[in-house]
Amino acid sequence: MKTEDRFDLPQGTLDLLVMRVVALGPIHGYAITQRIQQMSREALQVRQGSLYPALHRLEYRKLLRARWQPSETGREAKFYELTDKGRAYLKTETENWKRLTDVVGLILKGTLEGIS
Amino acid sequence: MSWLHRLFARRQMESDLDKELRFHFESQVADKVRSGVPETEARRLTRIEFGGIEQIKEECRESRGTMWVESIMQDLRYALRLLLHSPGFTITCVLILAIGIGATTAIFSLVNSVLLQPLPFPQSSRLVWVSQKDHSVPGVVPESLSYPDYFDWRAQNHTLEGIASYTGSTATITLKGDSQRFDIQTVSSNFFQVLRSSPMIGRGLSWEDERPGNRTVMLSYSFWQSQFGAEPGIVGKSITMNGHSYRVAGVMPKAFQFPIENPSAVLWKSIADEAEGNNPATQQRGFDTLGVIARLRPGVSVEQAEADLSVIAGNLARQYPDNNKQYSSALVEPELAHMTGDTRPALRVLFGAVSLVLLLVCANLAGLLLARGSKRSPEFALRAAIGASRAAIIRQLMLESILLSVCGGAAGVALAPGLIEMMLNLMPVEIPRIENASIDGRVLAFVLVVSVLTGLLFGAFPAWRLASTAPAKALREGGRSLAGGRMQHRLHNGLVVAQTAIGMVLLIGAGLLMRSFVRILNVNLGFDPKHVLTSRIGVPFDESRHNQHYFLYQQAVERIAALPGVQSASAGWPLPMSNSTATVSFNIQGRPVAKGDEPSESLGLAMPGYFETMKIPLLAGRAFGTQDGLTGQPTIIVNQAFARKYFPHENPIGKHIQVGVGDDLFDHPVREIVGVVGDIKHKGLTADFDPQYYLPYAQALITNAYLVVRTNGDPATVQAGIDAAIRGLDKSVPVYQTSTMEEYLHKSAAQPRFQTFLLSCFAVIALALAAIGLYGLLSYMVVQRTLEIGLRMALGAQRGDVLRMIVQRGLRLSLSGVGLGIAASLVLTRLISGMLFEVRPTDPITFAATAALLVIVSTAASGAPAFRASRLDPMKTLREQ
Repeated sequence: MKTEDRFDLPQGTLDLLVMRVVALGPIHGYAITQRIQQMSREALQVRQGSLYPALHRLEYRKLLRARWQPSETGREAKFYELTDKGRAYLKTETENWKRLTDVVGLILKGTLEGIS
Repeated sequence: MSWLHRLFARRQMESDLDKELRFHFESQVADKVRSGVPETEARRLTRIEFGGIEQIKEECRESRGTMWVESIMQDLRYALRLLLHSPGFTITCVLILAIGIGATTAIFSLVNSVLLQPLPFPQSSRLVWVSQKDHSVPGVVPESLSYPDYFDWRAQNHTLEGIASYTGSTATITLKGDSQRFDIQTVSSNFFQVLRSSPMIGRGLSWEDERPGNRTVMLSYSFWQSQFGAEPGIVGKSITMNGHSYRVAGVMPKAFQFPIENPSAVLWKSIADEAEGNNPATQQRGFDTLGVIARLRPGVSVEQAEADLSVIAGNLARQYPDNNKQYSSALVEPELAHMTGDTRPALRVLFGAVSLVLLLVCANLAGLLLARGSKRSPEFALRAAIGASRAAIIRQLMLESILLSVCGGAAGVALAPGLIEMMLNLMPVEIPRIENASIDGRVLAFVLVVSVLTGLLFGAFPAWRLASTAPAKALREGGRSLAGGRMQHRLHNGLVVAQTAIGMVLLIGAGLLMRSFVRILNVNLGFDPKHVLTSRIGVPFDESRHNQHYFLYQQAVERIAALPGVQSASAGWPLPMSNSTATVSFNIQGRPVAKGDEPSESLGLAMPGYFETMKIPLLAGRAFGTQDGLTGQPTIIVNQAFARKYFPHENPIGKHIQVGVGDDLFDHPVREIVGVVGDIKHKGLTADFDPQYYLPYAQALITNAYLVVRTNGDPATVQAGIDAAIRGLDKSVPVYQTSTMEEYLHKSAAQPRFQTFLLSCFAVIALALAAIGLYGLLSYMVVQRTLEIGLRMALGAQRGDVLRMIVQRGLRLSLSGVGLGIAASLVLTRLISGMLFEVRPTDPITFAATAALLVIVSTAASGAPAFRASRLDPMKTLREQ
């Protein structure tokens, strides 16, 4: 476990990450944590206590929908997928995010040079 | 509705959530096992990684938005369980609330029925009451209209859809040979149109029915039912009224009644008979007797109508100065406001008083909750410690108090009909529409709002108090804190002071009314009402039978005077307290004034022996005798106030007065003043002694005089004798309105009696609640400070010292409340000054007596807890704490 490397995600980022993973195809909660861990090269470990409230919140806001179906092990699991609304939301939010990181990165880069 | 749906699908959601998390858990365990960890160890690790599973669930629920409703339901269930667990506390609270809310509900239902319900006519907001303003006296004094004025207003106005006249009177109606006296109304032909009420059967009145000869009546539903057996063929037939024949034009529906008063009219007759004869009422401009109601045209305001009618009144005043000079403008006000105008101040005061009672109830309950809350503070501290937010705790506590107050409200509603019933029994019947008071939808809505507000009000302080306790401190103290915290004490003290102050205000109000009521009962009437029976006889009024009318009265008085048990008998008009008065203008010989500037005063009529029978003292000259009969010299007697006003430095006896009233024999003769009698209260117990003059009944046969009979014993016993005497004289003459003089007085005192009684009830409730509040606080304080008291006693304090300490504490609080209450009363009692008779709203005796009463009651309320404190065994106390 790499708990020592964990850092706090900025507000709202978890929703975006979860949706990005769900966008790849119907997926259950446990697989989402694993996928995020994988994709972040083990840097991010989403805790159950954050993931499930986020999933339920997104479902409540009709950005995700869920259905029960058998998982790879044969047990029934709750699979989430994006709704149309969720897809549109993810698109705009991803663009926003990119713009934000570009701008923030630009500024932070300048500052670092100034310090060194 | 998605949250509601989800609420009901809650079970499903819960099991889904559980299943989902369990799947995650099992998958994680399986992964660990696959990488070589033994299963038990894998489970342990996973459980640690998961953290609080309940917390995750809670957060999931919360993120679904059902949280709000669900937790309220949960809190509600919890609150209910809690209240059921302490039935003593719950029942006390609900009872106190039931008294407060029940009384408020009852008073509101009166206000609702009298002031708020619209009149039972279509678009009744456009109905206005119309009169002319009397400019000869200060203030806004309305005067009735005469027929000629009414006709001019009807023809010339531009702002009214219709304007109708009505006058109440009684009439002898002969049905199947039996004559009875009934209340009737004489109305213009458009009366029903203005009210937008159509007859149930028949055609109603038409313009033709105002012409002489077209005597027509509309029957009320109840009269048609009771006297004509609901015969549908009644329309077109004739009935006999006052010896004349009237054609029935129709029957009004059951719900129709106007004017809305007691007793109500049995029929409405057209003004045709008023237009008959040599000098018909419809042509006498000075004969101001009409009530007038009008319907505004759509979009016209009351002010516009008043301006419009004032132009007409102004023109008439210039055109007919003899009769109309002082009536140069019109008065228009909404009919509902006019009808309820007299009762509004009293109802407002009662409603204000009952609101104060409710406020006191709130303070009382807040005190109870506060005391109980401190016992519960460890419970809430624990909840806060394990994560309950402050908002959640406040919500929980508020729900508890609202639940309590809604229960109290329900109990109050159950109590209210009984209270209304009781109030109606006490109620002066003169208040229109009061008998309709009941618990309707509006009242229920009011109760609901009041209950919830009450709960919020009395729950807010304790809830805020509890929720702001620091959890660690409360847990440490473990519920047996030395003292509940300075803040809490101050709050609790404040509540008790507030209760005492409110109680003080109500007690002072009740005290003032009581003193005023005693004054009213002991007022000098100017006559002796004991052992006097009065009655009216329906002798027909017919100019052709003028002499017979008077002879019949003479014979009746003679026969009644001869009855056993009768001291003396006579007749006169108006009877004091009977609500009938007439003001007629006159001129004093040798003091010429223009006709329009003539003074006018109250008119009275008297037969010989009237003053003696009523025991009105004769101050100068002589009373009326047989010489003041039909053929005698025209004479007049004035009262003391009259003599003082018009003959301040002269002897009025022998002076001459010409009064603007007469009959066919005595047409405005010049009369000689032959006597001066004492002043009497004739308009009401609290009215001033007005100037008044009396004419011999024989010389002014203008209305049916009241028989007055002074008896030796109980006046009611001679009633049968009077009936028999009249029947023996003339079978067609009905006897009506038989009543003792004391019953008139009783009725006249009904309104102040009612107000005094109700306010006293409120004051007693307030006093009891304030005492309970103080008692509760001190008892609580003794429990809280048991340790301290024990210590003091162990260190040498005497029992007397402890007793004194607690009583002093109680007295200090009650004195603060008394001071505050006096300050508030100095401002507030001004509001009831209109209800007080010969008592100033700042009457020092009432204030002092009330303060003394409150201090005594407070001391008594402090006594029990103080005594208990002084009995504490210091050793035992110290051991236990």
